Amino acid sequence: MIKELSFALYAIKKNIQSSAELRTSFLMNIVGMTINNTAFIIIWVFFVKSVGVIHGWTAADIIGLLGFSSLSYGVVHSIASGIGLTAEYVSSGSFDRFMVSPKNLLIRIATSRFSASAIGDIVFGLVCLGVYSFLIHISIVQIILMVFLVVVSTMVFLAALIAVMSASFLFTDAHAVTSSLFELFLTPTLFHGGSFQGATRFIFTFFIPSLIAGALPVEIVRDVSLEKLVIVSVVAIVWFLLSLKLFTAGVKKYESSNLMTFGN
Amino acid sequence: MDQDSIVVSSLSKSFSFPIKNPSVGWIKNLFNPEIKEITAVDDISFSVKSGERVAFIGPNGAGKSTTIKMLTGILFPTSGEIRVLGLDPSNDRKKLAYKIGTVFGQRSQLLPNLPLTDSLEFFGVMYDLSDREIRHRIKELSELFDLGSFIDQPVRKLSLGQRMRAEVVVSLIHKPKIIFLDEPTIGLDVVAKKSFRDLLLKINKEENTTIFLTSHDVGDIESLCERTIVINHGTLVKDLPTQELARTFVKEKNIDITPNTTFSVFPELPEGLKYAVKSKDKITVIIDISKIGVQEALRKLLDVFMVDDINVYDTDLETIIRNIYESNPAR
Repeated sequence: MIKELSFALYAIKKNIQSSAELRTSFLMNIVGMTINNTAFIIIWVFFVKSVGVIHGWTAADIIGLLGFSSLSYGVVHSIASGIGLTAEYVSSGSFDRFMVSPKNLLIRIATSRFSASAIGDIVFGLVCLGVYSFLIHISIVQIILMVFLVVVSTMVFLAALIAVMSASFLFTDAHAVTSSLFELFLTPTLFHGGSFQGATRFIFTFFIPSLIAGALPVEIVRDVSLEKLVIVSVVAIVWFLLSLKLFTAGVKKYESSNLMTFGN
Repeated sequence: MDQDSIVVSSLSKSFSFPIKNPSVGWIKNLFNPEIKEITAVDDISFSVKSGERVAFIGPNGAGKSTTIKMLTGILFPTSGEIRVLGLDPSNDRKKLAYKIGTVFGQRSQLLPNLPLTDSLEFFGVMYDLSDREIRHRIKELSELFDLGSFIDQPVRKLSLGQRMRAEVVVSLIHKPKIIFLDEPTIGLDVVAKKSFRDLLLKINKEENTTIFLTSHDVGDIESLCERTIVINHGTLVKDLPTQELARTFVKEKNIDITPNTTFSVFPELPEGLKYAVKSKDKITVIIDISKIGVQEALRKLLDVFMVDDINVYDTDLETIIRNIYESNPAR
């Protein structure tokens, strides 16, 4: 396992170097994504200021929500960006080269690409969480909770990505299907947490675990709710294990193809 | 050369896919389509000795790539058994990867934006080689494959010939016992092809690497492989030494005649002989050796033509292979 992780770190380093070779594109991606996210937060904050507090959610909570979601999205898409390309790899047949690799298949695919724009998400996420911490006068316990919940949120993002991309093995040219499925998970991670109540809250916690990526971590940090913390952690672990199972089952259905491709 | 590197027993692979039935509506075709199953590889068995150079050939869609993908662990067989270096590729995929190298002519394994050295180092690390081993192996392969002039260039700036050489070097970085090559010379010019084949022969000789190659290029088969396995419609058609391929399947010989007279109407030829080329300066006649012997054919031709020069030669390997393919029509 140590060899696998050490190779994964090395592969990430090489991917960053490879992306950085195309300097302009690399920098534009990072700056572009940070600006994009900032515009998004301005819209939400103005919305909350006009409408007022909804189900206990304030403008500061929205900043926290975007902090968790952006940071975990950014981490997943920087260290495991390749998983998002599984549908392309499968439909073009370039998945073959991962199958002949001596490393863990999922780690090898995950580290096959690096998304420069994900750095923009990480920077934005960290800034948002910093601002949120300041606005809520964060305590030591809340800081510990926040750090732990960033890990949980990242785990659930990764699980959702792996689970969705496992569908790549079931359909021919599954790119559109997997994109739509991931959007189904991603879009609610950025929504106002107060808008999910009753059945929608249940569905988007257990069946589509979007709330675990942002809204529930904010509520746990704000309310210091250990009960919710346990539920969120268990659901994230279950989703992660389930996604690994789905991926392994999907690989067994891989049929390769002979489209011509070039490069990584 | 005594140990078996590859043992394949009763190997089959089927694929199924939906097909459109024009006699029913699009809704039925969308939600309940007919499923067609094709058998890409049908009950094949063969073995390859350590250090052998084997061409695995067949027309398009014969099952070559499917077989090579099962041998390397990319595809799971429907039935049958495979042992590559004593391992089952389906269950021991990672272990096997440490012992084999693969080159797929249609795709690259290299890191396109970085210098070639980075790709070599990357694969060295992937195969758990130490820094010292990686440096030593890069130096060794760089000299052997003459990479010096372009090893520091980004991969996307390499010519196709340079890139293919680099692909082979990457696949040899961990000293594999077998190298599988699927259409490795596709798109290369004649000079690059020759240099590529020479390098593979060298690596086979110096490191006793088993070579298992699929190619449509007869030159690859003739100059590189001592044994040829022919597959068509998923079944093994022939398995014999490449030299014997010509001897066993030569049904025709060619005779080039330089006539010293000109013809306005070319004379009829006896049974077993037919014209391939009819021109003022050169006549080529094909002898069907199942119907007429070479000596008899020459005698009859010399009765008909006054000649300045005559040349008898075998049918080329490409024609022989085409004949084998055509003698096994679709089932």
